[in-house]
Amino acid sequence: MQNDNTSNTQALLSMEDISKTFPGVKALDAASLGVAAGEIHGLVGENGAGKSTIIKVLAGVYGRDSGTIVLDGKALADVTPHSVHEAGVRFIHQELHLVPHFTVAESVFMGQEITGPFGLDRRAMRTRTEQFLSESLHTSISGSTLIRDLGIAERKLVQIARALIDDKARLVVFDEPTAPLASGEIDQLFAAIRRLKERGIAIIYVSHYLGEITELCDRVTVFRNGVDVAVLDHVDSHSADTIIEHMVGRELEALYPGKSHRIGDTLLDISQLSDGSRFRDVDLCVRRGEIVGVAGLIGSGREELTDTIYGLRQATSGTVTFDGDAINLKAPWAAVQKGIVLVPRDRRHDGLILDMTVGDNINLASLDEVASFRIENREKAARRAEALSDKIDIRPRRVEAVTRFLSGGNQQKVVLARWLATGSKLFILDEPTVGVDIGAKVEIYQLIEDLAKEGAGVLVSSSDPAELLGLCDRIIILMRGRVVEDRPAAELTIDSLLALTTGGHVKAASA
Amino acid sequence: MSGEASSMSAPRGWIQRSAGMWLGTLPLMIFVALLLYLSIASANFLTLSTLDLILRQAIPTVIVCLGLSVVVMAGGDDVVSGGIDLSVPATAVLAAAIIADQISLHETALAIALLLAMAGALAVGIVNAFLVVWVGMTPLLATLATSVAVVGIVKVITASRRINVDHAAIVWLRDGVFAGVSVGVLITFVLFIFYFWTVHRTRWGMNLQAVGGSRDAAEVSGISPKRYISQSFLVAAFAGGLAAMFILARGSGFTPGTEENLLLEMVLATFLGAAFSPRRVVTLWGAVLGAVLVSALSLGFKSIGVNVFWTGCIKGALILVVVASASLSGRVRS
Repeated sequence: MQNDNTSNTQALLSMEDISKTFPGVKALDAASLGVAAGEIHGLVGENGAGKSTIIKVLAGVYGRDSGTIVLDGKALADVTPHSVHEAGVRFIHQELHLVPHFTVAESVFMGQEITGPFGLDRRAMRTRTEQFLSESLHTSISGSTLIRDLGIAERKLVQIARALIDDKARLVVFDEPTAPLASGEIDQLFAAIRRLKERGIAIIYVSHYLGEITELCDRVTVFRNGVDVAVLDHVDSHSADTIIEHMVGRELEALYPGKSHRIGDTLLDISQLSDGSRFRDVDLCVRRGEIVGVAGLIGSGREELTDTIYGLRQATSGTVTFDGDAINLKAPWAAVQKGIVLVPRDRRHDGLILDMTVGDNINLASLDEVASFRIENREKAARRAEALSDKIDIRPRRVEAVTRFLSGGNQQKVVLARWLATGSKLFILDEPTVGVDIGAKVEIYQLIEDLAKEGAGVLVSSSDPAELLGLCDRIIILMRGRVVEDRPAAELTIDSLLALTTGGHVKAASA
Repeated sequence: MSGEASSMSAPRGWIQRSAGMWLGTLPLMIFVALLLYLSIASANFLTLSTLDLILRQAIPTVIVCLGLSVVVMAGGDDVVSGGIDLSVPATAVLAAAIIADQISLHETALAIALLLAMAGALAVGIVNAFLVVWVGMTPLLATLATSVAVVGIVKVITASRRINVDHAAIVWLRDGVFAGVSVGVLITFVLFIFYFWTVHRTRWGMNLQAVGGSRDAAEVSGISPKRYISQSFLVAAFAGGLAAMFILARGSGFTPGTEENLLLEMVLATFLGAAFSPRRVVTLWGAVLGAVLVSALSLGFKSIGVNVFWTGCIKGALILVVVASASLSGRVRS
């Protein structure tokens, strides 16, 4: 770069008119993305907008149907993971991609090991790793620690160290890097990213957190429906509204539906439930037509509680009364039979069969109803899936699309559609909107409200306080496995809810 | 349920972890118990000459185990979808058949016979690599198929007859002694050191282990999984070719059906070896130790007069125990 003034406009990477179609889904439709050296470039968009797809095209994971990729003035024809790595493009994936039984040094130097006359120079790799981690990331992790013994945040730092330790990186793509991090660690990460920028490295920063985007990025590209709909050249703290407008493409109505459901008699009554390890003496009641929230930090026993109600885990003491009968659930199928269903937090693994079509996933739990003489009637099944898919607006509107290629929000809707089809009485939703974009969130909230209106009991377990307050009638708060509060949502604010889940009030009392 | 959950020190977690550890070492304890029983039942079991015999008997198994371990390391240790090469014993027997046929029946020079045998072995490796990496078959099925096919070829070459081999080099491998240790044992030891160094002390080895540890992680690190997985099958086939000479030395020639017992011992030894490793993964030294233990067991049973058919039965049962305890301990702990 000869002229400093042009450094902002001279693109290091320029992707033009990239198109990519998956079976049943057009993921990218002539989309473009350009980044200059020494720039932190934000990439935002709702789930399914095409962000991940264009990044995977750049990474060589997906081939492109058409379009050009120019890196540093050279057109890349054959984009493979290897060729882009050679070209100095590095990816900090959302997934950590680490081998649990490797050491930190082995992981950092994976694929780029230092060798001496007698093979691997393990000592040098350890020293360089520890040096890099302490100097560039300000953290002291021993190079000989096993990855499986590290926390998630530390693993993230190892992952970053691996991408950058060879000093050959010219473009680094961060994909939702802060998702598992605590706020102090986020600052640490941002400091590291800014140091990269100072060294003239181009950075693409993909995130759902607009606060992070406006704090960190110089420019932002907004994706919607597989196209780049806007590029913001100047980003400051006021840009978030503009970004949201471009992302959604319409004015945001109120996120949460009005609470118009009517609460009836008791449906689920849990008394003094304990599992022997993660939660103790939990009392919990859900009535017909009521939405009850469960709040609590990771490790508070929130996940384990919902899993136990669904029969995935076993309680050691306490009673569960459902619909007037004392029940003792040994397995999920027993719960489903009673009319209790769970929409799991990890929908990709626990909730869906990704390679099946949308229609088959929807009908999975209610095959009896689409069967003639106990054999699935495909036509009936398709009609039924279409009706449900229309009702909750799954996009694309094709029940024969393969589920894997749907966005997170639409996959979640498929899981919901399946249980809607069963006409169950109690819906347990574990993190119903995690990884789901705003538009789909609104629709999922409306679905939950509709369930309550139709008289079902709903138990929502969530780490998002705004979601619980906006959605629920009542919220129970778990801390270290015990219920510390059971209150109408109207009596709580985000601040008081956060204080109760984190034990803020306890700290105040003991200080 | 996620594996992360077990990091909390709740009482049940502790019990689960110890149960997991206990299950993981169960096969080891059964082996030690069997060996103890054998040393009591047979007076001359625990002697130096028996040890020498055990090691010499173990040589072919040790070498094919080296090959299999490399394939498991590159393909991951999932018993069904991970890396496995069941065709190594058949490959070894193919190479042995070629050597025996060439030097005993066609009076070919040993060097040329060896080259032919190694070429045959590597051809099997190439077919395996092709089936697994390019066709995309699971290693278990692909190598089972090639194994059966190769055994068929062996029968064609040898007409299923025994071929005696009395070539000086082969006899030397069997009877030679250097500094009080069998030549064959020494050569195998050197081979082990070479394999160990390659896998644990070179870039190639680390990348191979990375591929087996997490294919995605390797891929994003610019390591080509296909390359390492296909090379692992070649390395395994190469081990098969090397084992051939020791098979001929041990049996003073080619005997039909050798591959059956070799296959049994190889699988048993390699996965038993994982029980030795603190991280419960297949390792080279674990596999070698496993092979020696298995050989000791076979010899021990012979020395107390157990019917040879029963020995096969016992080994099969032990494979079940080893594999079952590995998956059980994994399940209990997670």
